[in-house]
Formats: sequence, C-alpha cells, structure tokens
Amino acid sequence: MNEVLGDLQVLDFCWVGAGALVTKLLAEHGAVVIKIESRARPDNLRVAPPYAPGPKGLEASGYFASRNNDKKSFALNMQRPEGQELARQLAVKCDVITNNFRPGVMERWGLGYEDVSKLNPRVIYLSMSMQGSDGPHREYIGFGSTIAALSGLVHLSGRPDREPVGTGTHYPDHIPSPGHALVAVLAAILHRDRTGSGAEIELSQLEATVSMLAPAIAAADNGSGELVRIGNRSDQACPSGVFRCAGAERWCAIAVRTREQWCGLTQVLADPILAREPELETIAGRRAREGELERRIAALVSGRDRDELVTGLQGAGVPSWGVLSSPDLLADQQLRARDFWRELSHPVIGKITAPSEPYRINGERTGPRRAAPLLGEHTREIAAALLGLSEPEIDELTEARVLW
Amino acid sequence: MSDESDSPLTGFTSLLGDVTVVELDGEFCPYAGRLLVDLGAKVTRVRRAECGHDVWWPLHRGKAEFVVDPERPADRRRLLEVIDDCDVLVQSAGPDERDWLGIEPTVVHESRPRMIHAVLTPYGLYGPNAGFPSTELTRLAAGGLLWLGGYPDAEPVAPYGDQSAQSTAIFGVVAILLMLIERSRTGAGGLIEVSAQEAMTQALETSLSEFELTGAVRHRAGSAPREAGTGIYPCADGFVSMVAGRLGTARAWGQLREWLIETATPGADQLRAPSWDTLEFRQRPDSIKRFEEIFTAFTRTRTKQHLYLEAQHRNIALAPVNAPREVLADPQLTARAAFVGATDPLNGKPVKVPRSPFRIRLAGDEAAAK
Repeated sequence: MNEVLGDLQVLDFCWVGAGALVTKLLAEHGAVVIKIESRARPDNLRVAPPYAPGPKGLEASGYFASRNNDKKSFALNMQRPEGQELARQLAVKCDVITNNFRPGVMERWGLGYEDVSKLNPRVIYLSMSMQGSDGPHREYIGFGSTIAALSGLVHLSGRPDREPVGTGTHYPDHIPSPGHALVAVLAAILHRDRTGSGAEIELSQLEATVSMLAPAIAAADNGSGELVRIGNRSDQACPSGVFRCAGAERWCAIAVRTREQWCGLTQVLADPILAREPELETIAGRRAREGELERRIAALVSGRDRDELVTGLQGAGVPSWGVLSSPDLLADQQLRARDFWRELSHPVIGKITAPSEPYRINGERTGPRRAAPLLGEHTREIAAALLGLSEPEIDELTEARVLW
Repeated sequence: MSDESDSPLTGFTSLLGDVTVVELDGEFCPYAGRLLVDLGAKVTRVRRAECGHDVWWPLHRGKAEFVVDPERPADRRRLLEVIDDCDVLVQSAGPDERDWLGIEPTVVHESRPRMIHAVLTPYGLYGPNAGFPSTELTRLAAGGLLWLGGYPDAEPVAPYGDQSAQSTAIFGVVAILLMLIERSRTGAGGLIEVSAQEAMTQALETSLSEFELTGAVRHRAGSAPREAGTGIYPCADGFVSMVAGRLGTARAWGQLREWLIETATPGADQLRAPSWDTLEFRQRPDSIKRFEEIFTAFTRTRTKQHLYLEAQHRNIALAPVNAPREVLADPQLTARAAFVGATDPLNGKPVKVPRSPFRIRLAGDEAAAK
C-alpha cells in the first residue's frame, strides 16, 4: 500500500495546518505531491517553533517538518503573474489539486475549479476553507482552536465547575478536517479510476468538526436541556477518571464498566472497604456515589507507582492506561512492538521521529519515508520534467524571483 | 429510519454506489458506516435484537438494519451469508466487543479473497497490550491527547464526545478507500487493522517534535492565554476564542490594538508602545496578564456574537465558544443547510443532526451542483 497512489501527481497549495496533513497521507501512499511555496510568502509553519538547535531560518522548523514529509517543494512566487501562469501549466498536468485558502484566492489566480476543469476535466479538486465556499461567513478566518470553539467542542470539554477548556490543541486541524477531506478525495480517486470522471470537492472545516458531535447536536435540539461539561466522567463507565500517582505529573486513567472490572479494581487497590459493598458492583450503585468513589480511588493510588499500578489493573482486566506524555509515547511498548515510529533524517534538523499511519493493511505499515523538503528543493527537477523548461530558462526565472 | 435523512446523497453524487458494506454493531463502527453512507455505499448495520438505547442513533440514517441474535446458530449462519456477499466488512474488536461471527478477526478475509475486512481496535490486533480492555478515556490516555488537555492546576481532562472512537473510524474509512482503489486494479481484498491509540497520536500537534528537538515536555496549558491575543477570554454571555499575533497573524495584532483604541477601551493606549509589537514581549507573563485585563474589560460588556462579527470584519481570528444550541442557530451553518432532520428514537421528536461535511460534484454533473 506504500505505492497505491503512485500514479498520481498532486498540485498542493495547502499551507499551515489542516490541508498539509491531507497531502502528507497521499504522499506516504506514493503520490507525487508538489508543494507550491515561496520565499516571497513562506508557509507560516516554516517560521513556527519548535526549531532544531542552531540558526532558525526557513528550514529548521519541526512543526513544518512534521506535516510535509515525503512531499516535493516547488518554489513559485504566486504574487507574480508569471508564477500564476506556470501554476496553471502545472494544473493541467496534475491529477489532484488541493487548497485550504479562503474562497476566491484560487479563482483570482485563474486556478479555480471552473478554469482548471476546462483544460483538465479529469482533475480532482479539493477546496477546504474554514467555513465553506458560500454563506455569510465564507470569508471568516480562523485556526483549529477557533473552529473547535465554533463547533461546540470547546464548550463541552472541561470540568463542570470550571470554564470550558477544549482539547489544549488545534484538534480540528489534526483529524476532523484532514480526515474528512481525505475520505472525499480518496473516494473521488476510486471513482475516477473506474469512470475517468474528475470531481470538485468542497469541505467546510467547521462542518467537519460539527459532524463529530452529532449526538450532542441532536440532544441539544430535542429540548431535553443544555448539555453540560462532564470532565472525564462517562455515560458508559463509573468511575471514569484520571488519578494522580506517585511522582510529578504521573497520572493514570481508570474507567470501570462491568462488575468484573469493578472487582478487579478493588483487588488491585487492595481496598477491603470498597470490596465489601455489593451495591457498588452495579454501575447504578457506583453512579450514586461517584464523587465519593473518585476521592477514595484518588487517595488509594496517590502513593502508587503509575506503571506498576496500570500493569496490575490491565492484568486484572480493568480498562486503564498511564496518561502518556511525549517521552512516554516514544517509549511505549505497544507502539514499539507494532513498529509504529519511523526515523527520518533531515539535512538541517537532523533525526526526526515520526508516527506511521494508524493502520496496517495486510500487515503492512505505511508512514513517512523521506523528511520534509527544503524550500524549493525540487524546483529544477519539476520545472524541467513537467514544464519543459531549459536550464537557462530556470536560471532566468529564478533570477527574476518567479521560481522563488 | 424514515426521515428527511433517508436521502443522504442530497447535494452529493454517489461515488460508492456499487459498494456493499456490513457494519457490525460495535463502538468504533457507527461513524465509519456514516461516512460510507455519505459516499453512497449500501450499508447494512447488524445489531442485536436486544439492545438498549443507542447513543449513536444520529449516525445511522440511511443504513439498512439486519437484526440477529448471534447466540442462535441459524442467525449466525444468516449473518455469514450476508457477509459472504459484501465488499466491505467493518467491525470493532477488543475484549469488550461481542463475538459476532465466531471467527477470529484475523482470518475472516482468508476464505473471502475479495472482501475488505476493516477491524477497528483500541490498541491494535497485535502487540503485548493488544488484548487490554479500553474505554474512550484510556484510549485518549494511551494516544497522548489526554496529556495535553485540561487545566494546569488540576488533572488532565479529555475532550468531549468519543473523539478517539470517531477518529479511529475516519482512519478506518481512509484505509478502506485505499484498499478499494487497490482492489479495483488487482481484485484482491484483505485485512485492515486500525489502532485507536495510534490514531490519537496523529493529533498531538508539535509536542513530539518539541520534545525531540528541545527536550521540553509540553504540558496542558488550559484555557489561559498563551500570549497576549491568543486564548479563551470571558465576555458578556460566555467566552470567545482568539488567535491574534501568531502563525502569520501579526497584522491581526495591529488590528486588534486599533479596535481597542477606537472603542476607547481603558488602558488600550498602553498597547501602542513598540515593545508590544514583538511576539516575545507578548509572550511574557506580565504582558499576558496586562493584555487580559485590558481586553476582558472590553469583552465583558459585549456579547460573543457581537465580538465575532466585529473581529472578523477586522480580519481577526476570533470565534464564539458556542454551546450546541448556538451551533444549531449559527447563521453560516443554517445558510449552508449543514443539518438535516431526523427523529429522536427516545421521544419521537423531530431534531436536527449534522449533514455530511463534504460536498462532491462530479465533472459535468451539473444536476448535483451546489
């Protein structure tokens, strides 16, 4: 599956967050992704931390590197009419075109779907602006965190006695937006393989996150009252919480659904008091005393070693896991045993450890193979191969800051 | 389900019209089936005769239902027949999941060479911890997203709404589509295995590279502003979320300052000092605190909708922290018909549920144009 998309060329105008993760996955499955970028207006992520030690510049961002592996970088100044013309020539030769600009930007460059599809009717064309291509807020701007706020996710995430807290990240950029865009693009590729017909795809990033809150939206509309934040509690499990173990910032997640799991928990916690109370064997019985149970468990685990406790609980059949930090994840035995992490070598940053895709297909892993490109690393190669430009022409366009 | 939502392809073109899918009821599957319905696949959801209220009912529109008791041999035989005929079988696996087929998930596809069998799991089908039971909370813990959420002075807090289960479903559908592309060339199906733990590692932003490049372990920052201009701020009727000054929004910082000065907000004049023009200065704790004082004096007398509209007119990325009922009333979502009608099975009331977030128009398919 590493090469399942090996016959596709993708002209990628995506930048910053969500869009870059769409074309990252396409590249990891073999598509040739040509990232259009320019020194005239670099991708914001190229100047975003974290940086490798040493001079910062445009090549040292770990943020950029984490989203652009396996792509080719074509330096093209889209502020110049000559740059726009070269992009239009590339658009005719590519199978997929992607952008996450505000509506209207691609059209101003003569690269809107209507223009491109006249010359390239088989093209699959993805636009993923924040709120879609029509409607009164189509030009509004935002980031993952503000999309999460608009969608209802921030309001619902947090403790009931505190302000809303969200996910602590730009979560919509990482899974909801790129995930739904990929589903649509891959379905269109399948359809094109069968019929030869291209497609225009429009994704509203806001709607992608709203789509992942369907039960909350339906509940809000049926008049049964406003939903409230529930912290780590759950309709499915009780107790369900995160508890502090011995040491600084050592936490474990514990959630109990069944009688067997409850008995396992009381055994591992070696708590004769809880174990003696039969009404706690049902979820309803535990729910009636949820706060008390949470305090009791917190007291019982506060001096325990996190990993020993979790191992004991897992062995007893209790859903439990350490709350893993970045170093914990890199050392996690399950991920290591599953050959999850890939090691890449970047000429400026050095070693980069990157996650694979979260699936195996017929036992085969797919993931990063080549580190992110330097800005313009593949300009000459692409200008010659796809645009038919000679070396002197490339030099001239570089000098004129068009291939820039 | 006989609702308005029986037409999942309204405004869309069917891309998977000839693909048949069997979705075995399980915690990771409802959203996977939902996406496949939205693409036009014929999805049959297999469920038990005896099951309580299903919180995932808003995702089942457009799916056919097949009710079985897997303990009855006749039902299990019928189920195997249904599976024999499908292109794609989606199931959840893990110690908490029902054994629908009486066959190990790893071998179901072996006697069905064209079938694509997607097994959605908490931690994978293989590995030393593969067999451990899970809930949403433990999957978020294992995948690292839980670590990043919550208030700095309290325990980590999970995001709302079974995000690990739904994310696993999305990646499952991505893998199914990749395999359908491959199958259209080779004719061969096979086994897909998705891990929820691994799915959540895709959502960790820069925390892994931050650790690797600098040795710093990123901790949960809560709702507190990370720098002057970026964070969650209280207002007259709730909260707003804003990003002004980072990731290429330097101009927005200037616009924000002008807005505060123009409205004669007390203290806003102080923001004219050149030191405020640098991100480094705005990231200092005293700068964050001073800006928060000035800004919240301004926002506390204004509603989130007012702030949203005024900020966006000034090209500032500010958004209301909406409750779900406010999401339902959002003018943009309403204008784009982002919701469809359905019937709540608990009380028979008509309610709105989200429509598919993507719109697909085939080349030359003017009838399906937006």
